[in-house]
Amino acid sequence: MKFKTVLTALALVGCLGATMPAFAQEKPASLGLGIFTFTSGPAAAYGMPGKNAADLMIDQINAAGGIGGVKIAPTYVDEAQGAQGVITEYRRLAAEPKNQVMLAALSSANCLALAPIAEQLEVPTVGWNCDTHQLLQDGKSKYVFRPNGNTVPEFVAYAVYLLAKKPDVKTVAIINPDYAFGHDAAKIFKAALHALKPDVQVVAELFPKLGSPNYQTEISRLTTARPDVVFSNLWGADLENFVRQAQPRGLFTSSQVILALGETVLQRVPLPDGVIVGVLGDGWWMSPDAEANPETKKFAEAYKARFGEYPVFPSIKMANTILYVKAAYEGAMKKNGGKWPSRAEIAEAMKGSAVTTLTGKMQTRPDGDGVVDQIVGVTVKSPTQSFPVIGDMVRYKGDALMPKEGQDPIAWISTLKPEFAASLPKPGSYK
Amino acid sequence: MNAIIPLVLDTLSSAALIFFAAVGLTLVFNVLRVLNVAHGSFYSIGAYVAASVCAFIVSRHLNPYLSFVALLFSAALVAVVLGPFIESTLIRWTYGKSEAVQILITFGLFLILEDLQRMIFGVQSFYEDTPMRLMGSSSIGGVVYLNYQMFLVAMAIIVVFGLRLLIKHSRLGRLVTAVVADREMAQSIGVDTNKIFILAFSLGVFLAALGGALAVPTSGVAPGLGADTMVLAFAVAAIGGLGQIEGAALAALIVALARVLAIYFVPSLDAVAPYAAMLIVLLVRPYGLFGAITTRRI
Repeated sequence: MKFKTVLTALALVGCLGATMPAFAQEKPASLGLGIFTFTSGPAAAYGMPGKNAADLMIDQINAAGGIGGVKIAPTYVDEAQGAQGVITEYRRLAAEPKNQVMLAALSSANCLALAPIAEQLEVPTVGWNCDTHQLLQDGKSKYVFRPNGNTVPEFVAYAVYLLAKKPDVKTVAIINPDYAFGHDAAKIFKAALHALKPDVQVVAELFPKLGSPNYQTEISRLTTARPDVVFSNLWGADLENFVRQAQPRGLFTSSQVILALGETVLQRVPLPDGVIVGVLGDGWWMSPDAEANPETKKFAEAYKARFGEYPVFPSIKMANTILYVKAAYEGAMKKNGGKWPSRAEIAEAMKGSAVTTLTGKMQTRPDGDGVVDQIVGVTVKSPTQSFPVIGDMVRYKGDALMPKEGQDPIAWISTLKPEFAASLPKPGSYK
Repeated sequence: MNAIIPLVLDTLSSAALIFFAAVGLTLVFNVLRVLNVAHGSFYSIGAYVAASVCAFIVSRHLNPYLSFVALLFSAALVAVVLGPFIESTLIRWTYGKSEAVQILITFGLFLILEDLQRMIFGVQSFYEDTPMRLMGSSSIGGVVYLNYQMFLVAMAIIVVFGLRLLIKHSRLGRLVTAVVADREMAQSIGVDTNKIFILAFSLGVFLAALGGALAVPTSGVAPGLGADTMVLAFAVAAIGGLGQIEGAALAALIVALARVLAIYFVPSLDAVAPYAAMLIVLLVRPYGLFGAITTRRI
């Protein structure tokens, strides 16, 4: 009899345990968000604007009552500690039920390391910045989302813009950071150029170590190669260093320079006119769409008041990602009758979602990858700002520059024809 | 000829910066027999202080040429504040201990100093290029070079000869030589070895901080600079022979040449070139170019 009682008690406890997820769907006291970014090291020049934007956006959402009445309580993880530390922190945060969603990560390498763990632990994980096209290539992810687009549309956009702006280009030199992002960008940019203008020659390809403080020898090498165009996707402190060292040595006058992440330094480094820059997406706070959105203007002014400078595109990417997460919660709650959603329900709501952001729209494909427009332009003097801004802009539709789901991106790029580029909007068309 | 000029100038200007990173490390090892893993932190602290002082000069609209003085002043300030304090509180306890203990203690110091820099200066990059802009640029062999790059080469040459003069032709240098040759004997004839150690360590800190300060106008400073500098400094010191000042100068040239050749002809080898050079030299001369098993020179 006693044995039966114990068994019954155990079964009851088991049943209670099994119903725990139902309890977890009660509205929590706060919504934990694990936010991964670089808050130290050279990459912090890129990561801190993301953190600042998260702070501001979360404050604004909380001031308006939070998400479904629940306030957001972020936990920040510094990606500078390396992949092993990032994985440990991710597992620790994921083990706490209140942390339902992770915004991870900035670095493509960390995104690739975390993706299988996100699937294993079934935690909705939103890559707020990670660009590598390899992240969702297998199309099997259920819990990993990257609403901000990827390296393929980002760097095909630069090739298309360059050829529209400078159709007689013959020689190109590349200087990118020596890791996946730099090498992927070089591969995509070269593939797009070769497809759209096969006679373009790459006369130098340099991949300095990430975090290099000194580029003087690389600048000499680029100068001696005498290319028509210098393309770079250096970022953070590396980009600032490169620009500050290359400008007095005449590189910006001897070649047409493309700085794929150049918008991030516009307020810090006096870039000359005519440098091709962009925002790896649509996150330009002064774009016509952004200017027309009172929420964006409010966000930009609040950001300037709080952090002393206007948001750069990593800030906008982070802010848009938080709006994306908010929309997923609201969508999931609408679907389940207003109950607090589970992790699985949030992931389901993210799949295929279309979210209006500060700067445009984020469309998530069924494979979890995002489709966002690409804004590219050149630096011009501003009548209203003390720093250069982006002019002669074009806004390419995101889906026009992306292969279909499951298609090999490099193989897709090689199928592009000059007519494809001719069919796209021209520089200056986005006003 | 036009193709060789950029190679030569790039090698010389790179070598100057690399030499500054390594010479203090090799000097401290020569005199104190301590492998100072925290050396890179003194380099980055020198850079931060120089950037801050130069920024102050610019913000107060003082004579911009004072920024050159600021570079030297910053290095001296770092050496005076940190050198005697760290030597007498930490480094002194490592004398005569195994190299493993020395490395552990100085590595701990390195971590503390790195965090302190983060607390004081934040995580953003610092730039102050006034000295570089004041000096302008010159076109040599079809390539525009900063005159400041040539200034660095001149400074490196001055430091090599200055140290040579100090060690060989001054009273302090002779005392240092005596301590290096036989610490106990020097002590027994009345040489204040503690004072010599403080001075030598502070000079090492000064040289590291000077390297960082001189690098600021062209490179800026960001968190992580100390770690990168430390690794390169050890490679240069190993090639030249630990404790050899002329060796450090020659090793800096070799490392710079290896990097420049890699960037020009095999860019994929850029990052490994300095260490490949180190490997080759150590295979042929395990104690470095100027090192020897029994003799110790400065």
